Amino acid sequence: MSNDAKADEPGTARSGGTLDVSYALQLDAADSLAHFRSKFYIPTKADLKRPTIAKPNDEPVSDESIYLCGNSLGLQPRSAADLIQVFLTQWRTKAVTGHFTDHSDSPLAPFLNVDDEAAKLMAPVVGAQQSEVAVMGTLTANLHLLMCSFYRPSTKDEGRYKILLEGKAFPSDHYTIESQIEFHGLDPKDAMVMLEPGNAAIPILSTEQILKAIDDHADELALVLLPGIQFYTGQYFDFKRITDHAHSYGISVGWDCAHAVGNVDLKLHEWDVDFAVWCSYKYLNSGPGAIGGLFVHERHGRVDMTKSSEKYRPRLTGWWGDDKSSRFQMTNNFVPRPGAAGFQLSNPSALDLSAVVASLKIFEEAGMHALRQKSLQLTDYLETLLTAEELVGPSPPYTIISPRDPAARGAQLSIRLEPGMLDTVLECLEEDGVVIDERRPDVIRVAPAPLYNSFMDVFQFCRGFRRACELALDKKEFQD
Amino acid sequence: MSPSRVDAPASVEDYQFPDNAHTLEYARSQDEKDALRHLRSQYIVPSKANLKARKLAKPGLSDDEGIYFCGNSLGLQPKAMQTYIQAQLDTWSSVAVQGHFVNVEDSPLPPWQHLAETAAKSMARVVGALPEEVAAMNTLTINLHLLMSSFYRPSGKKSKILLEWKAFPSDHYAIESQIRYHGYDAKENMILLEPDDDHTISTEKILKAIDDNADEIALVLLPGVQYYTGQLFEIQKITAHAQSKGLTIGWDCAHAAGNVPLKLHDWNVDFAVWCTYKYMNAGPGAIGGAFVHQRHGKVEYDENDKPMFMPRLAGWYGGDQQSRFKMDNNFRPIPGAGGWQCSNPSAIDLAALNAAMSVFDQTSIDDLRQKSLRLTCYLEHLLDQALQTFGDEAPFRVITPRDTKQRGTQLCILLKEGKLKPVSVALEDEGVICDKREPGVIRVAPVAMYNTYEEVCHFVQIFVKALR
Repeated sequence: MSNDAKADEPGTARSGGTLDVSYALQLDAADSLAHFRSKFYIPTKADLKRPTIAKPNDEPVSDESIYLCGNSLGLQPRSAADLIQVFLTQWRTKAVTGHFTDHSDSPLAPFLNVDDEAAKLMAPVVGAQQSEVAVMGTLTANLHLLMCSFYRPSTKDEGRYKILLEGKAFPSDHYTIESQIEFHGLDPKDAMVMLEPGNAAIPILSTEQILKAIDDHADELALVLLPGIQFYTGQYFDFKRITDHAHSYGISVGWDCAHAVGNVDLKLHEWDVDFAVWCSYKYLNSGPGAIGGLFVHERHGRVDMTKSSEKYRPRLTGWWGDDKSSRFQMTNNFVPRPGAAGFQLSNPSALDLSAVVASLKIFEEAGMHALRQKSLQLTDYLETLLTAEELVGPSPPYTIISPRDPAARGAQLSIRLEPGMLDTVLECLEEDGVVIDERRPDVIRVAPAPLYNSFMDVFQFCRGFRRACELALDKKEFQD
Repeated sequence: MSPSRVDAPASVEDYQFPDNAHTLEYARSQDEKDALRHLRSQYIVPSKANLKARKLAKPGLSDDEGIYFCGNSLGLQPKAMQTYIQAQLDTWSSVAVQGHFVNVEDSPLPPWQHLAETAAKSMARVVGALPEEVAAMNTLTINLHLLMSSFYRPSGKKSKILLEWKAFPSDHYAIESQIRYHGYDAKENMILLEPDDDHTISTEKILKAIDDNADEIALVLLPGVQYYTGQLFEIQKITAHAQSKGLTIGWDCAHAAGNVPLKLHDWNVDFAVWCTYKYMNAGPGAIGGAFVHQRHGKVEYDENDKPMFMPRLAGWYGGDQQSRFKMDNNFRPIPGAGGWQCSNPSAIDLAALNAAMSVFDQTSIDDLRQKSLRLTCYLEHLLDQALQTFGDEAPFRVITPRDTKQRGTQLCILLKEGKLKPVSVALEDEGVICDKREPGVIRVAPVAMYNTYEEVCHFVQIFVKALR
């Protein structure tokens, strides 16, 4: 650990030419997406520390922070404020008539149509047709809504009523599933089939394990509900194989894509996913708690009012899912819009949607494929710097618990520190103006986002992280 | 609903408007005396030019204000909106993820994790609830479904829902789909209250329907204020009666919250939902509200520290703040309405709601109601007078109850056939915004927050002219 102090001085030539700062600069220079960074507000180190919005006149110029926390809250696109102003202008000059008034110079649709505008932009990001996507609600509310449609447990003898999920699901998913099961009068202990990782220290679930669990419970499973990307480990699940396998038994599969959307190049339609939900405030950079999204596969969204029964997939309904042309006629005869739009309940927040549209326009420009390619590079680079012996020695005081296979992870790497190090490491990183996320007692999550993080960000993080680890170890030695 | 003051008028006659009430001078004199007139300046009133413009870029035209009587559909933008939203954007862009916890000293907003509570507290004052009985979350219909999942638990033949014949579509669809979700037939299990004569439903009729069907009713769900007619239901009386039969009762307060004083806690209402973009002025589709009576929101712990609470569809944000980030997947709900929250809410939507509620914080729903009673009676008075000039050829009639205890700000005017088009055109030409419902209704809602006697006076002049 001690001989790497000079390893990263600018211009130093090392045997690992890819380990020094000049390589980071090289990678950034070659990055065709580098210009997207300037479309975002990157908090400076001073911004992070300032207790007020107002900047004191005498505040010295500060460096940008190293923000690798887009997996928790994405940074703000500069254009968000612009579109929000457009919305505010629509509202204040048109009031209620803003619902349907078209302005020739407006980048935003009138209030009544901005939800469709958002869905149109969202669809390519998740690999879906526009009709399969709705921008609405929040993740958990959407999950409940879709489960009310897709989780219809049978309590008869040959019935399927169980749900397969991970043992350490994100709390909201766990509570959603649990409460849905209880709602049907079933026992969660019985009905929740939990996937436990073989190795608790590196809690990755292999695809084989998941497929086997499906095999073992095929007769009883009504639903499989998994995260596209696991929040803790950053594992990217094999959507296609798992979905296909469940489908081979006639079991529905839903995916919580909170950490996957805007991160990996999803193909929800092609993978035949039944339904999916997500939030927009992580990699989709739409603001804390911003309006979420859902996907319903085309085959589930069909509407045929001429049929005598099951004219459309049963669901909890509201006026906003009603056919657009008759929605305001107040006939109280529900005819759902085909597709995901028919699952909408209430007229959505036009303010929230304007932030989402601002962000999605950037995705439209960049394209998910290109973003994923850069992301693979960035995270690979991060992994290299974290594991290179020339930098960190043969046994650094931490373990990467994310999958090592790039195809099995997104942007994020989760790092488990040795016990007792976390607090010191966090303190040092904070001092350095690094923003990452921690999961107590000893894991940090580092997520270089392709839209606004640079290879230099990764380089600086790793340098700071090495120093922080050293300090934490010294402190530990001193205390032991 | 009992009036909040002993001497509140029952009808327009009680105000004894003078002979010159139809004059602009009179109207202006009333505005001068209006103790709440300063609130108007806290809102942005679209100008006539604004309403006509088809380009967003500032046209630099005159700021001759339009007459906006459509706050019952979409409330006007509070000026505070700009500041609050900017503060939220600035916090996000400067401290990013830390914004959940850090207190930004010069921001009108608390840290994001407290935004919902702050808004809920302001709303609680307006709906007559304890702060913990209110949550700022989701949207009206989602809240309705979440609460029905807790409160509508049909069993055997106790499966029916009592609602009104022309419920707002979202309520109708929510109820219908909830019934079907439980495996019951929707038509058979929806008891629709037909109106008496015109369009309003008498309390007697409602009480009788409850009496006649009590054995089979699993839930009563009514609007506090009916969206079409503007009828204000006797929430206290109906609630008490329903509960005397052991029934659960919920109220859709979309048109009531911020319009009329509510006492949801004292009236023992089981649950209520509302949207915030009408009388609360938080913006189109803004985050909604929900009320759950204290007695239903209790969370107790048994000897094994296992929580006992009303069953519900749950999510992590309904979990106790202390344990929320522990990630041990043991749901410990927040006591009260907050325990029904599912996801972390939109901070910017909450910033908008807090901006809107900041104006309510400067006054009281009772004061607003006092002005509103008089203002709407003034409108009614002028309309009554105008009708007299038409003799037998009445080109319109007001279908909202005349009894002020049975209405809020809105008057619903039913026009004679063929009149809607010319009236709409005339109103639009003069920059008057009302809501129109084909084939022959306009709804006029002069709200206390920002409307004036002068506007009402102008409106009636324009309206009458259009009818001739």
